[in-house]
Amino acid sequence: MSYGVPQEREWNELADEEFRALVRTEFETHHPQHLRFPPRRLRWAENRSWFVRMAAKGWIAPAWPREFGGMGLAPAKLLIFLEEQERCGIARYQDHGVLMVGPVLMRFGNEAQRRRFLPPILACEHIWCQGYSEPGAGSDLASLRTEARIEGDDFIINGQKIWTTLAHDATHMFVLARTDKKVKKQEGISFLLVDITTPGVSVRPIRDIAGHEEFCEVFLDNVRTPTANLVGELNQGWTVAKSLLGFERIHIGSPKLPEYGLQVLQSVARQQGVLDDPLFRDRLARLQLDVANLGNIYGQFTAIVARGEALGPEVSLLKIWATETFQRIAELIIETAGDCGGHAGEVRLGEASIEILAAFYKARTSSVYGGSNEIQRNILARQVLNLPG
Amino acid sequence: MTDDSLRMLRDSAAGFARFDAARVRRMRGARPGFERGVWLEMAEMGWLGVLVPEAHEGLGMGMGAAVIIAEQLGRALYPEPYCASAVLATLTLCHGDGEALRQRYLPQLAAGKIVASLAWQDERGGLDVAHCGVRLHERGSERVLEGTCRFVETADADTFIVAARSARGIELHWIARDAAGLSCTLETRADGSASARLAFTQVAAADETRVASAACAESALALAVDHAVVAASAELLGVMDSALDLTLEYLRTRVQFGKAIGSFQALQHRAVDMYIQKELSRAALSAAATSLDAPACTPERRAAAASSVKARAAQAALSIVNEALQMHGAMGFTDEYDLGLYANRALVLSAWLGNAAAHRRRYASLLEVTP
Repeated sequence: MSYGVPQEREWNELADEEFRALVRTEFETHHPQHLRFPPRRLRWAENRSWFVRMAAKGWIAPAWPREFGGMGLAPAKLLIFLEEQERCGIARYQDHGVLMVGPVLMRFGNEAQRRRFLPPILACEHIWCQGYSEPGAGSDLASLRTEARIEGDDFIINGQKIWTTLAHDATHMFVLARTDKKVKKQEGISFLLVDITTPGVSVRPIRDIAGHEEFCEVFLDNVRTPTANLVGELNQGWTVAKSLLGFERIHIGSPKLPEYGLQVLQSVARQQGVLDDPLFRDRLARLQLDVANLGNIYGQFTAIVARGEALGPEVSLLKIWATETFQRIAELIIETAGDCGGHAGEVRLGEASIEILAAFYKARTSSVYGGSNEIQRNILARQVLNLPG
Repeated sequence: MTDDSLRMLRDSAAGFARFDAARVRRMRGARPGFERGVWLEMAEMGWLGVLVPEAHEGLGMGMGAAVIIAEQLGRALYPEPYCASAVLATLTLCHGDGEALRQRYLPQLAAGKIVASLAWQDERGGLDVAHCGVRLHERGSERVLEGTCRFVETADADTFIVAARSARGIELHWIARDAAGLSCTLETRADGSASARLAFTQVAAADETRVASAACAESALALAVDHAVVAASAELLGVMDSALDLTLEYLRTRVQFGKAIGSFQALQHRAVDMYIQKELSRAALSAAATSLDAPACTPERRAAAASSVKARAAQAALSIVNEALQMHGAMGFTDEYDLGLYANRALVLSAWLGNAAAHRRRYASLLEVTP
């Protein structure tokens, strides 16, 4: 069966430059100007039409294999695709379906689950969110208490998820739930797929300190989901979830956000007239080198993925370095903005209008989500440096 | 270079370059500050010729190979002047237009029969190859060198390649250590090695001593210095790696309050930060070596790649040895314990050929002109 719309071309056969030109033209011509380089996560109502267009073109899942309806891009082509997307300032949507659910179903799912769930992801009909963290299970995720018991052909799920990014845009949620309370905490967890419109699911957005509503609380009150929506074996959900972590760390470890931060920093510095100040130049050079070296090491990790090898625990360093570099840049943006460093929203600075605090707020959360940087350091200390527990 | 041949080189380099603390201590302050026998063994393995073209009896392998060797030598704190002679001086000779000197001396350098040093910096040092402290005076057919050079590594070279400003621009000359009018004073460095300060009084130069004419001397110098900067960064990577290993072992075994101190999260997280700096240095090094070996590498890109890795490695090595010293407590500060050997070597290599701040400055200025 075919999962998505047919691909127009065998992309990997094109020369890199030809492919780049083709992708660039598509983005430059059709991506709406007002959606480029947004200072916050866009809501689905805002960028839906763009991604539906991408879906109709068969371009929504560049990394997925063609047999599953993706573009099947080889690593070099995928990099070009992502670079052009970034160059054009195309922001992410709630893309957990493409980034996470798809790869998980390809690896751990059965044929029926793939047929059921991959096509609507490719069509942007299903938008997925990630039901991992709970009020009592953040860094210690494995201690989660949301539970699921089997009743006939259904799981009945009870509990609460929190910090669920863009759950209010989602149609579905993948949930880690406890299915066995008698075993070691990691061994009694299952990976379940839930339709968010099921009775008993309620979503409440949480306002953050930037004034945005990007993450939510999700309450699960006797929510029924079919046992057919169990991914992998019962009680093996931790293994399934862990397989996504390395991938997530690579994603968060991309130099994209720090590079955006450097651009903002240089615009602010230009308006403030400090680009030639030796002290500022040294601090800028330090950050430019931090980002350049992030790019070097990011390239090494993506090469591992491109070779089809498993990522080791070392990838945690990428997440730490990317997020903390972004934070240092964001802090220098504020400092360089001087008296405007506390101004919210778009701020008039000399000739320009710049959002000073956007990078700061974005950067601030990045060392917390995806496994806090403290947890990443614990992982590196124990698993890579072999320090005692 | 294939990945396989580089892997074999890494294995053989790691097998050869074993840390011998007694030798490292013995060589401190010794003159010469390295062993000729070891140098000849390195030559036999082909290491001194990895950057020498095959036409001149070298292996022509490129920086991908040189950084592997330099890293292993750094790891084991070898005092032999690999970066100074086999990279910096050798590449300068390679890229000059003194054909007879190339023919004659490149094979000898590759064979380890002579050790050469590049003398190019003035009293104040710095990375600008157009700056030099020696002048080439011409009186009729007679030509002489006058002036001083500093930061000449290694001080124990048989011969110096001297940068001198002439009326036509900078030239490079091949001057024997025992040349009349050349005096050499030594400056002791933190690790017990010496760097030379050379004073030239009416030292004779001639067409036959000219390694590079003004047409190519500056570009040869710039190329050699950038390659040596990368090689020195590789050596620093080896040093910081060893210092970190030593520290991790100490954290695993040193017991206080009834536990290994490495079980304390405060120390674990700092150890992770040391590790991250080391891995960033490794990634920057690999990217720089690849850039330098690329046929299309422009001088600006080459310089930016070299500065990127030295800025990282110099700062990473110093912060790693600082943290290592702190975590070891007073033990780390004793001469009897090996950590100090690494710390002192890190100080020397971080400062040589431009420290982190100098390379950040150069990187920033290059970003403005590099497309």
